[in-house]
Amino acid sequence: MGKRPDTATRAGRLLALIPMLKKGETIALAELAAAVGCEPAQVAADLSTLSMCGVPPFTPYDMIDLVIDGDSVTVYAEAPGIDRPLRLTLGEARALGAALDAAGYDSDAPLREKLRETASGTVSLDELELTVRASAGPGGLAETYATLAAAADTHEKVHIHYFTGSTGNVSDRTVHPWALVNRLGVWYLVALCEAVHEERVFRLDRIFDARPTGELFEPPTLVPLDVTPDTDELPVAAVRFAAGAHLPEPQAWSGATFETEPDGTTLATVPYQTESWIARRVMAYLGAAEVIAPPDLRAAVRQAAIDALEQIQ
Amino acid sequence: MSDPVERMVNLALYLASTHAPKTAEDCRAAGLGYPEDQDDAAFIRMFERDKDALRAGGLIIEVVDTGESDAYRIDPDATYARPVDLTDAERSVLRAVATAFVEDPAFPFGDELRSAASKLGTSGSGGPLASADLGRTAPEGQGAHARALAEAVQTRKTLTFEYTNTANQTRVRSVDPYGVFFRDGSWYLVGRDRDVDEIRTYAITRVRDIDVNPSRPRTPDFERPADFDIRKVERLPFQYGDEPFTARVRFLPETAWRIDRLARGHGESQTLPDGSAVWTVEAHDAHRLASWIIDEGPGLYAVEPDPVIAELVAGLKRVAGSHG
Repeated sequence: MGKRPDTATRAGRLLALIPMLKKGETIALAELAAAVGCEPAQVAADLSTLSMCGVPPFTPYDMIDLVIDGDSVTVYAEAPGIDRPLRLTLGEARALGAALDAAGYDSDAPLREKLRETASGTVSLDELELTVRASAGPGGLAETYATLAAAADTHEKVHIHYFTGSTGNVSDRTVHPWALVNRLGVWYLVALCEAVHEERVFRLDRIFDARPTGELFEPPTLVPLDVTPDTDELPVAAVRFAAGAHLPEPQAWSGATFETEPDGTTLATVPYQTESWIARRVMAYLGAAEVIAPPDLRAAVRQAAIDALEQIQ
Repeated sequence: MSDPVERMVNLALYLASTHAPKTAEDCRAAGLGYPEDQDDAAFIRMFERDKDALRAGGLIIEVVDTGESDAYRIDPDATYARPVDLTDAERSVLRAVATAFVEDPAFPFGDELRSAASKLGTSGSGGPLASADLGRTAPEGQGAHARALAEAVQTRKTLTFEYTNTANQTRVRSVDPYGVFFRDGSWYLVGRDRDVDEIRTYAITRVRDIDVNPSRPRTPDFERPADFDIRKVERLPFQYGDEPFTARVRFLPETAWRIDRLARGHGESQTLPDGSAVWTVEAHDAHRLASWIIDEGPGLYAVEPDPVIAELVAGLKRVAGSHG
C-alpha cells in the first residue's frame, strides 16, 4: 500500500484527471488509475471529490458532471475552465529529460525538441540539461531503442546485427522483441532468437542496424525480465586478485563472491558462461588477477593472452 | 470545514474559467470553500498556499496589479500544452521509458515521470513491456537522495551532509550543488566543496543526513559557474589522472561502428579506406586505457602513444606468464 499523498499532490492529481474527462465518454477507472499512477479505488475517490467541484454560482450546470458506475465513470459535461492538458512542470520536464537521457536521447534529439513545446515557459530546459544527466547514453542508442520499443509494442520481428562481447563475433539474427530491461543503466533486449528458437538477452549498445521485418510474432504469456544469468547452473572459476587491485563490482560479475586473504589478496569464486568472457575480464587486469582453477580455464587465459600479444606485435 | 482539495480545485477552475483577474477577496467571496469565519491573515496564508500548490501542479497564475490590490488569472498560453504530434515509434519510446522508470525506486523522478506521461497522453495500459533496476546498492535511498539533491541544484541552496569516502573516513561537507548525474548503477553529485573551494564529485550512496540551508528558501545561496555543464563532468574510466595525453585506438572494419557506442561523446573518429576506424581521444592513465581496450575488445587496438602499447604488452606477458 502506498503512502497517503499530501493535499497538494492530490490536488495535482485531480487537475491531471480533469482534461481526461471528455463529455459523453465512459472511461474505465483502471485506465484513469494507470494514467495518474494510483489504484482504481483512489481514482474513484478523486472523481467523487471532482464531482463536488465547480465554479460560482455552483448550480448543477456549473459543476463537474460525472457519474461513477461500478468500475467506470461517465462524463456528462466538460469541466468548466480546464479542458486541455497542462504544460509540463519543471519536475515533469526534468523527469522526462532524465528518462530520455537513459534511452540515449541527447538534448538535441528530434523527440526532445518536440517535447520542448510542451514544457511550461517558466521551465528553463537549458538549465536542466546542464545540471541533470541520467546517463551518458552510448551514441546511436536512441535509434536502436526506438526501433525495438516500437517493435515490442506492435509485436513485429526485427533483424539485428549483433556484436557478441565474449567472442568478438558479429552475427545477423532475427528476433522477437519481448521486453526492454534497464539494469544498472545498461539496456537489454529480452527476445526470442529465431536461429536457436530460445529466449536470449542482447545488450542494446551491441546491436547495430536493427530493422523491422514486417512480420508479426505472438508474444508469450509470461516474459522473464531478469537479464542476469542463473548462476547456479554455471561452472565456477577461482580467481585471485593481487593486493590493492580494484575489485570488480559483484553485480558486474554476476554471482561472484569475494574473500580477502590474510596476505591482502582477494580470492573470488566466479560463475561464468563462457571461457572467452572470463578470460577477457581477467586479461583486463593486466596481471593483477589470476585464474587459480579450473586448469582448463588457466590454459584458456594463457592462450588468449598469447593471441592478443601476437595481434599487437 | 470544506475539503482543502475541493477548495484548491474550485480555485483552479474559477481562475481558469474567467478572463477578468480575480483578487484574493473575490476568491474568498466566491464560495470556493474558504472558511467564512477565518481572520484575514489566516485566509491570506491559506490562499497563498493554495496558489503555490496549483502552480506546482502546472497552472501559470499571473499576478495583475489592479491599483488597489493584486489580482490573479490563469495565463492560458503558458498553462495549456499545445497538442504534440508524436509518431507511433515516439509514443512507444515514451511508454517504454515511463513503464520502466516510474516503478524503479532508484529513478529519482518517478511520480513526475508518471504525470508527464499522463499529460502527453502516453500513460495508461498498453505499450511495450519494459522494466528498470538502476541502483547498484540501496536503490530507495539513492533515488530519494538524488531527488533531494537535484532539488537543491535547481533552487541553488547550499547543502551540508555527512560523507564517507573510499578510505572509510567520514566528515561533514558543506557543498554548493551544481549538478547530479547517473553512471553504472550509481547517482553522483557534483558541486563546490566550500571548505576546500574545489569542485568535487560525491557518490550519493556515501552521502548521509542531508540538510538544505533552510534560510530564505526562495533565494539562491550561490551562482553556478556560467560554463558548468554536467555532460562535461562525466569521463571515461581512463580519463582520470593528472597528465592528459592523446591516444589513438583502431577498430577493425566489422566493429568500427562501436566507436560511436563506446566514445560517449568523447574524442573524434576517422574511417580509413579499409573500413577500419581510428578513434582519437584524450586520456590520462595509460594503464587504465590499456585495461579498457582489452575489456571492451576484441576488435580494438592501441595505435599510440607508446606507453599504452607498452602497458598492453607488459600486462599481457604477465597474464601469459602467471597462467603458464
